[in-house]
Amino acid sequence: MQEFKVLPDLPAPVKTVGPVAWLKNNLFSSWLNGLATIVVVAILAKLLPGLLDWLFFSANWTGTSQDACTKEGACWVFINSWSKQFFYGSYPDGQLWRINLVLAMLVGIITLSIFISKEYRNKIVVPLFLLLPFIGLIILDGSLIGLQVVSTDLWGGFTLNVLLAAASIIVAFPLGALWALGRRSEMPLARSISIILIEFFRGVPVLALFFMGSVMLPLFFPEGTTVDKLVRVWIVLVLFMSGYMAEVFRGGFQAIPKGQYEAADAIGLGYWQKNALIIFPQVIKVSMPNILATFVMLFKNTTFLLIIGIFEMLSTAQTALTNSNWLGGHSTEAYLFVGLVFWVCCYSMSLIATSIERKLNTDHRN
Amino acid sequence: MTEDQRAVSSKHAFYNNPKNRALIYQLLLLIGIGYFFYTIVSNTMANMEARGIKSGFGFLQATSGFDILMSLIPFDATYSYGRTFVVGLLNTILVSIIGIILATIIGFLIGVAHFSPNWLIKKLATAYVETFRNIPLLLQVFFWYFAVLAALPTAARDSVSIGEAVFLNVKGLFIPKLIGESGSSIVYLSIAVALIAILFLRRWAKKRQELTGAQFPVLWTGLGIFFGLPLLATLITGIPFGLEYPIMGRFSFDGGITVIPELMALALALSIYTGAFIAEAVRAGIQAVPHGQTEAARSLGMKESKIMSLIVVPQAMRVITPLLNSEYQSLVKNSTLATAIGYPDLFTVFVGTTLNQTGQAIEIVFMTMAVYFVINMIISFVMNRFNKSTQITAR
Repeated sequence: MQEFKVLPDLPAPVKTVGPVAWLKNNLFSSWLNGLATIVVVAILAKLLPGLLDWLFFSANWTGTSQDACTKEGACWVFINSWSKQFFYGSYPDGQLWRINLVLAMLVGIITLSIFISKEYRNKIVVPLFLLLPFIGLIILDGSLIGLQVVSTDLWGGFTLNVLLAAASIIVAFPLGALWALGRRSEMPLARSISIILIEFFRGVPVLALFFMGSVMLPLFFPEGTTVDKLVRVWIVLVLFMSGYMAEVFRGGFQAIPKGQYEAADAIGLGYWQKNALIIFPQVIKVSMPNILATFVMLFKNTTFLLIIGIFEMLSTAQTALTNSNWLGGHSTEAYLFVGLVFWVCCYSMSLIATSIERKLNTDHRN
Repeated sequence: MTEDQRAVSSKHAFYNNPKNRALIYQLLLLIGIGYFFYTIVSNTMANMEARGIKSGFGFLQATSGFDILMSLIPFDATYSYGRTFVVGLLNTILVSIIGIILATIIGFLIGVAHFSPNWLIKKLATAYVETFRNIPLLLQVFFWYFAVLAALPTAARDSVSIGEAVFLNVKGLFIPKLIGESGSSIVYLSIAVALIAILFLRRWAKKRQELTGAQFPVLWTGLGIFFGLPLLATLITGIPFGLEYPIMGRFSFDGGITVIPELMALALALSIYTGAFIAEAVRAGIQAVPHGQTEAARSLGMKESKIMSLIVVPQAMRVITPLLNSEYQSLVKNSTLATAIGYPDLFTVFVGTTLNQTGQAIEIVFMTMAVYFVINMIISFVMNRFNKSTQITAR
């Protein structure tokens, strides 16, 4: 009797696995698709080499002045020579360590939040995050701790964008929560005031608010008081941001099942206890992606401050472009660089938001 | 409340009664706000007096004395400040409408491209959304205005031209202007007639389908009426239209319509930026339609195109419409960035120049805020009406 022999496995057909199959399924699944692929590849092939050449291969990387830009491509020397202003503004040279220190503290807290055990995370990292902007302000200003006082006129660059965004969200967070609670309140007066505040600050262009801050706010203060320009801007940003945060929180409040409220009432918690201990922690959890999205919006909107003459990163770039030593038309390089810096920050925040959303998403839809 | 419950509650202290508490809190709030406004108003009065700022709306009748780069209605330096308000408002509305239309087109195209079976197109759509959504809008406005449009040819004779009719150079885009001659009003009338006819056709077709189940190709007939009737009217009246081409002058072009680069840059940036957000909304909307819906439709034997138009899109619109509403509103608000490149919108003209000349900050800033508020309310109203038609009709 013949012995039963197993035939060796045949490799899977080329058409179903491997790169060929991938190409067929993803790029050439129908003739229309194939045509689209060819058109897209043709366009990319036409554009990319020139772009890469301009960006990297024939770009000018080293040098100190505009004369060093002899080659055809981008003049990155421009970015190089202005990078200090882009990031630190006009902050005095010898004092730059203060900005770096604040930055190092921020990086430190973020690393801490990754490595610290879950038990202590909320008790240590969250308060540190909340305190950091104020510690940062004290260090940067210097008058309280006996360092050289640096006037806010000299603050600028990307530092200012980050600082203003961070300092605003931290105040806007509780204020927005308060307005959201007010909007849900059963007291008619509190509710209508909250609605007016929220709708006003959301419905008006942020530029109009900035103008209000720089033209009208000085009229509101008692005669003779001068309020620092940055403080006025900060007040406006806080109010604007609170309006948006309030709506984010309202969405969160609505997402919490009614049973949670009723359970809290049933065990005899008061209004503030109920909200602070039961409802709000859940609200923060469900609205985290939206909070991040709102923060990204605020962060991008800090560039609007250019219009009222605050030297944040984009207005530093505009100033650099009109500098008499650099009149060679480097606007594309400048905007690409500033855009890249913002893009990296905003995109990483949106990635975090997406990952939180995915973690929270427990429904079983396809 | 029953009798003995009331007896229980009356035992509580006065301040423990939630109703009394609410009253006290609100009274305190009222006092606080009253004091706040009192301080602000009295401070402002004192400050304005000290600085010699006038108040009231009398300035609206005064002669403005400055010219505006672009205006849809006749305007020069002899017109009043009130007129500058109208000119700015019209320019704002113009850029908003262009932006909203372009952003919607871009948004829907990119949003649908996200579901393309083609890997390359899918990735490009994602790259588009992630790039333009995460870069500040003002930077994009500057990029188009100072980097792209400023790099166009400077001299009129070097302009990029399409068929000697459309010209593009650093001074703007020059396109032919349609001029109606006698008889053109009949064509305009025929467009109106066509629209009304389509409305009646739709109503009749719906009624017939409800009664008999027979479908009527409303879309194709409608398109036929919409284009056919005006075309017929044009031919009958002997083509009462002429085109006024831009003629190359010594330095620039004469005639035709000139689209200033400020408007181009702003409209481009607004529509590309908002388009990325709308694409995300469209993607979210389509993704929100459960897969079972498509599968059920397929198992009923529906065609793919019918599945899209009858099953997926109507359900996706429920998610998309509210998002569109807020995107349109933020587009209108963001159009104030015009002031950074000098496009004469309401903000540039009124809050910029007019405020500088008259110094009446409070009136001007509040008038402007009110305008944006009203525009956004109109958008909200229209979109909510539209939203209602897409929502599920509960029995």
